[in-house]
Amino acid sequence: MAQALTDAKQQVGLCSVCFHLSADPVCDICRDNRRDNRTLCVVSDSRDVIAIEKTREFKGKYHVLGGLISPMDGIGPEQLTIGQLVHRVNKESIDEVILAISPSIEGDTTTLYIGQLVKPFTRVTRIAFGLPMGGDLEYADEVTLARALEGRRELE
Amino acid sequence: MFLEHLQLQQFRNYQAQGIYFQAPKTILLGDNAQGKTNLLEAVELLATLKSHRASRDRDLVQDGQTVGQIQAVVQRQLGAAQLTLRLQKSGRRTAIINGETLRRQQDFLGTLNAVQFSSLDLDLVRGGPGERRTWVDTLLTQLEPVYAYILQQYNQALRQRNALIRQQTADLDESPPQPDITQLALWDAQLAALGTRVIRRRGRVIERLVPIAQAWHREISGHTEQLDICYQPNVAVEQDEPTVIQQHFLEKIQKRAIAEYYQRTTLVGPHRDDIAFSINQTPARQYGSQGQQRTLVLALKLAELKLIEEVVSEPPLLLLDDVLAELDLKRQNQLLDAIQDRFQTLITTTHLGSFDAKWLASSQILTVQSGKISANDRNQADILKHSG
Ligand SMILES: Nc1ncnc2c1ncn2[C@@H]1O[C@H](COP(=O)(O)OP(=O)(O)OP(=O)(O)O)[C@@H](O)[C@H]1O
Ligand SMILES: [Mg+2]
Ligand SMILES: [Zn+2]
Repeated sequence: MAQALTDAKQQVGLCSVCFHLSADPVCDICRDNRRDNRTLCVVSDSRDVIAIEKTREFKGKYHVLGGLISPMDGIGPEQLTIGQLVHRVNKESIDEVILAISPSIEGDTTTLYIGQLVKPFTRVTRIAFGLPMGGDLEYADEVTLARALEGRRELE
Repeated sequence: MFLEHLQLQQFRNYQAQGIYFQAPKTILLGDNAQGKTNLLEAVELLATLKSHRASRDRDLVQDGQTVGQIQAVVQRQLGAAQLTLRLQKSGRRTAIINGETLRRQQDFLGTLNAVQFSSLDLDLVRGGPGERRTWVDTLLTQLEPVYAYILQQYNQALRQRNALIRQQTADLDESPPQPDITQLALWDAQLAALGTRVIRRRGRVIERLVPIAQAWHREISGHTEQLDICYQPNVAVEQDEPTVIQQHFLEKIQKRAIAEYYQRTTLVGPHRDDIAFSINQTPARQYGSQGQQRTLVLALKLAELKLIEEVVSEPPLLLLDDVLAELDLKRQNQLLDAIQDRFQTLITTTHLGSFDAKWLASSQILTVQSGKISANDRNQADILKHSG
């Protein structure tokens, strides 16, 4: 019973499509049909969605990983929503996956890991790093973040 | 550069102590366990953000307190700088320069430079490779502050890779493991890329240091001995080209994969580097006499001073912890000739007896007693300012 409750709570907290925080099963952003379905912005955390939304420069949809690959913390790809992302890219028609993950050792590994998995299916870019090394997306000011999105580059 | 004022607050055994430095040399005189090394440690922290004897800030904060602080005014050619380092029993440090709190602590490095020389430095010759890596890393951090960041990133990649290897080999004797090849390859690439930067910078700094150390060594040994210093990177550098070193790094990881699998830790990379010292073609570690080893370390320290001076265009501080009294009068004089009044020097000692008179003449003498500092001479009373 207690287990069922916590499971339910986790489900309730997150959008079932993009895993952004949401009171409803599908979040406002995913439901908004004025937004571009063909561009997917991948972030590690819901806070990053909020930060990018503040810039009002991104009109596509999101995918929230729920963290970064970090063996030290016992977080491997299975603990994140990477499988679901590959599934989305496979199933939906996506023109571009933008990896908007802060530069750090764990962030870079996660970016490259996802890149290898989704590149066979679509174009993959990563945001430009005018962002401070080790700096979090959520602390970057809106202009910096907007520029980082604008200046995104093809992932090698 | 000149350290003009130091203010310690709830740091080690200092409750609240201000010190004005007014001479090129300051002798800190006191019995054992009074706080002499603690004071040098505070300066070391400002210069390197590290202490060679404490790895946790909770040891630095005065017992019974939750926060401590080191503050300094440093005169440099471009003007004065005020440095503040706030330490917490538990929690992050705050680094402040001229009133501005730094977002990245690495930006603190480079304002105050210091070379530390204590009797522990004999371990550079006698100790294991780890001591020598720490030595070259500390020097690099002061010459190229970004190195602190690169090294920290390398160590992080190393810890992550080790954790992954341990996970993947967790059930070694049970079912055959199914390693996540993709993930491991990515960590390998990170390790090789960052490791290559560490290797190249270490190689470069040692190359620059060698001729200076050799010259000092010849001089101190009375032109009878030839010092050689050889960097021995774990991943050999055949060509100083990042892509070539990285390639070599990755190949070596492949070669050592089986050994790594059984030892469950990363066996390839600059965390396994060493530096070899030899005197007249004989390894200093096994064959050097006490005196030879002392001469060697003194030559290294003088070379560090000169190299930092060359690179930052200002003479760094020299911190001599207990070593001066250990040197014979001849070496004391050589050291004095080398530093003259150019390098501000802080010297700790328990007694003045073995000091050459010339040292005493150019020094301000302070007495250290139970975390309190007072002028040794009544005429010097004005150089102290107590504040709370
Ligand atoms: N966090 C702390 N809080 C209070 N006192 C401390 C703290 N850390 C160290 N001490 C005290 O500082 C003293 C050691 O000081 P220090 O190492 O500077 O001695 P010293 O004067 O260099 O002596 P020596 O001549 O033996 O090298 C000890 O009495 C120790 O108990
Ligand atoms: Mg001491
Ligand atoms: Zn959603």
